[in-house]
Amino acid sequence: MSASDDGNSSPRSQFASHCFEDLLDSIIVDVASECHRIARLGLDRNLEEEEEELRLSVQARVADPSSSSEVNSKNVVDVFGQTHPAIAAEILKCMNCRQPVVAGRFAPHLEKCMGKGRKARKVTRSTVARSSHPRGSPISVYAPYSNATSTNRAPNGTSGRAGEEYADYTYGEQ
Amino acid sequence: MRSSINRPPTPDANEEPEKEPTLQEIINIKLIESGEKEKLMELLRERLIECGWRDEMKAICRAYARKKGRNNVTVDDLVHVVTPKGRASVPDSVKAELLQRIRSFLTSAAI
Repeated sequence: MSASDDGNSSPRSQFASHCFEDLLDSIIVDVASECHRIARLGLDRNLEEEEEELRLSVQARVADPSSSSEVNSKNVVDVFGQTHPAIAAEILKCMNCRQPVVAGRFAPHLEKCMGKGRKARKVTRSTVARSSHPRGSPISVYAPYSNATSTNRAPNGTSGRAGEEYADYTYGEQ
Repeated sequence: MRSSINRPPTPDANEEPEKEPTLQEIINIKLIESGEKEKLMELLRERLIECGWRDEMKAICRAYARKKGRNNVTVDDLVHVVTPKGRASVPDSVKAELLQRIRSFLTSAAI
């Protein structure tokens, strides 16, 4: 057999093609075998009835907007069967600037309200105990509860009536 | 006694002229013995995974299994389902690369 290397019809090319097809067939059998295994062992969760079930349950939940689970991961049902909206809707009062704030937008609000203007920080520095975080929580700004060590001398964190000690309260006698 | 049984004589392994191994067979053996076939297989597998061919084939199998009922499929079924599409959808570049490798092997094996 000549070993000439012409085009597609030379024996060498023929053999090469034949060999390639052999390899491909082997790989096809591999894939088929694996898929067969997956199908028979039920490893593919979406086959058949399971898929139908899943689809139906998803549809049912989507129809009821207050409780959709896997479809919308934000409205997850918790262990008590309650759902929580993605963005918390309660309205609070920011302790720093005393504005009403939506709970879900509290953090960005704080960033602006506390970070803006070094002023914000300066004012509270004297009242806020030297804590490690530069932005104290609003609670520490508002009430000197946590400042017991610096301003008040109440032994526990009792009410911060500056200077006033309730002797009977603390000593228990008298 | 009439030989009513008209069957050809049992082929005797020794008597039957042994087919000479065709060139293809020789080459195939060389390919396997040198380990090149295994390497080619790995290369092909890798390329087919990269280009998404394998995922396509798996999707076809999954669809077929879903239709037929997952406990009713056999490997044979799946092979028959996948082979025509599989052969046809190998990207040209992948095929060319493999053929090139095979040809250079043949060259180096001085055939």
